[in-house]
Amino acid sequence: MKAMIIQGLQQAYQNLFHMLAEFLPRFVVMLVIIVTGLLVAYVLKHSLRALLHLTRLDRLSEEAGASRMLRMAALPSMTEVLSRSIFWITVLGSILVGISVLNIAGLQEQIARILRLLPEIVVAMVILFLGLVIANFLSRAALLAAVNAGYASPKTLSWSIRFVIWMLAISMALEELGVARQTVIAAFSIVFGASMLGLAIAFGLGGQNLAREFLEKNLGEGKKEKTEEPQPL
Amino acid sequence: MAEDIFLGDDFLRQLMSVGEADLLVAVPSYNNAGTIGQTVQAIEESYQRSFVRDRVVILNVDGGSSDHTTDVVVNMNGRKSGPHRGLTSLRTVHRVATQYAKSPSQGMALRTILATVDLLRARSCAIVSPATTNLDASWIANLLRPAYRQEFDFVAPLYARSKNQGLLARNLLYPMSRAVFGQRIREMYSEEWGFSGRLAAQCLSQNVWNVEAIRERPEAWMAITAISSGMKCCQSFLGPKAPPAAGTGPNFVEAVRQTVGNLFWCLENFQGFWLDRKGSASVATFGPEHELTAEEKAPSRKQFFEMFQKGVSELEPILATILAPDTHAQVKRIAELDPSKFRFGPELWVKTLYEFAASYHRSVINRDHMVQALVPLCRGQMYSFFLEHADSSAEEIEANSEAVCLEFERQKAYLIERWKAKS
Repeated sequence: MKAMIIQGLQQAYQNLFHMLAEFLPRFVVMLVIIVTGLLVAYVLKHSLRALLHLTRLDRLSEEAGASRMLRMAALPSMTEVLSRSIFWITVLGSILVGISVLNIAGLQEQIARILRLLPEIVVAMVILFLGLVIANFLSRAALLAAVNAGYASPKTLSWSIRFVIWMLAISMALEELGVARQTVIAAFSIVFGASMLGLAIAFGLGGQNLAREFLEKNLGEGKKEKTEEPQPL
Repeated sequence: MAEDIFLGDDFLRQLMSVGEADLLVAVPSYNNAGTIGQTVQAIEESYQRSFVRDRVVILNVDGGSSDHTTDVVVNMNGRKSGPHRGLTSLRTVHRVATQYAKSPSQGMALRTILATVDLLRARSCAIVSPATTNLDASWIANLLRPAYRQEFDFVAPLYARSKNQGLLARNLLYPMSRAVFGQRIREMYSEEWGFSGRLAAQCLSQNVWNVEAIRERPEAWMAITAISSGMKCCQSFLGPKAPPAAGTGPNFVEAVRQTVGNLFWCLENFQGFWLDRKGSASVATFGPEHELTAEEKAPSRKQFFEMFQKGVSELEPILATILAPDTHAQVKRIAELDPSKFRFGPELWVKTLYEFAASYHRSVINRDHMVQALVPLCRGQMYSFFLEHADSSAEEIEANSEAVCLEFERQKAYLIERWKAKS
């Protein structure tokens, strides 16, 4: 009995040692690949940035109106966006290659799947970018309109609009990727519905006075206050 | 002719029956059936009193009214009686009308007017608003005469105003346009003005009619076109400007968006003209150059300061992208002052505006958003004006206005420096 236990433990120890002996070199290779990838990404980022500065891409982008789009989305210049993108794509690629070296059956399959999904990923990224641009544009428009009209909480209104558009863009991007379609739709409906209901309840119950003031100012007697401004022209 | 393309057949037929004209008064309208009759009467009276022998036309360009405004113009009876009974025009006073679009646009209305002036070969034209309730015959004559008899090309109006009226024009539009374009025209943004057939032809030939800034407020562009082409400009005193009926005129935000947006657009599009110009010159003025009337009711001051404070704090990230750090810090500092000690001085005001103009030029954010971000600062400046000039006399107000203008001219080098800066 005792001998069997010892033999079993020895077997387990041998298996563990064998596994570690097989896994550790691969893990080290993975780390080397990732670190090398990081270094390459860093060099690529700086080289590309220098090259794009030389070619005056930012000026071209300004003339083409692309810089304005980026600024609307609170993103940096075209040179910076491209150099940062190349950095992250290289880092991501090296991580995927590094992980594939581990030879883990399930992961290999997932990585191959990710590579097959690449076109959808690009489309999803474009959707997210456009969502970001539209969200920033509309939330800023709402903020300015609310501030100039003298409404009580302009930032809340602005952030609500930004949040709703982000939610919509994220759910559209996930839909494009085909990630748990039903769950995404259900999650979006729940979050969107809950946000609207929450706002309605907060405005109607929590902010009864504010709601009254708002309605009176815009539809009732209070509207006359707006005409008190002296004639500007 | 290019005009034929956008003028309707029926309207061209009306113009052909008129033939040629010496003078034309145009009335752009949109749902003005209630007041346009009075406007047409004033125009006819002016023709009968001052232009008896001349070939005259009244033109109504309508932006898709649903209250039959055009029918009122075409079908109303001519003036039969009045203070000048017995004195009637020796020629027919033609009335023509057209609908230029299904929705109103000042720019499209002006384009139709210019095309009509060009086709009728009119020598002088005046545009008047049917919303101006105190328009009288002398206004029309004062707008038509300089271009007709004295070879002027652009005739800006001058109004008698109360001291709190027209502050956007007095503290921003006039001093900035004077410093930048070098001509002392007080009322570039107005609903009444006059111009020559020569200027009409020049403006008509330009391809600007789809630009938003022109579609909304084309009058200053016309003045600046005249200035930049070396044409003669003048000012003609009309009288007191009655405020528009409640709910009819643009509100403060709309007025800033339309006029300041248009001024910044003109800065951008006429930069070849103004970047090397220095100082300003006065223009010929008919009648008093400025006149202040008694203040009817003081505006609500506290509301202006609160909206300024809130704007500065809520729009901080937007203002940070538009203003230089030092200017932004100064604006934030004055927003924290006690309301009774608040002052938005001319130096900071001018610097702020020039930085907005330069940021507009570089499109640091959406241009309309940028102009909207200026609204709270305009309110702050107005509040400062109310505080400082609560008891000021007409002479003191005029002296202050001149000081603001000179500050704009003094800092023009700063505008040029910011304008030419790469980022």
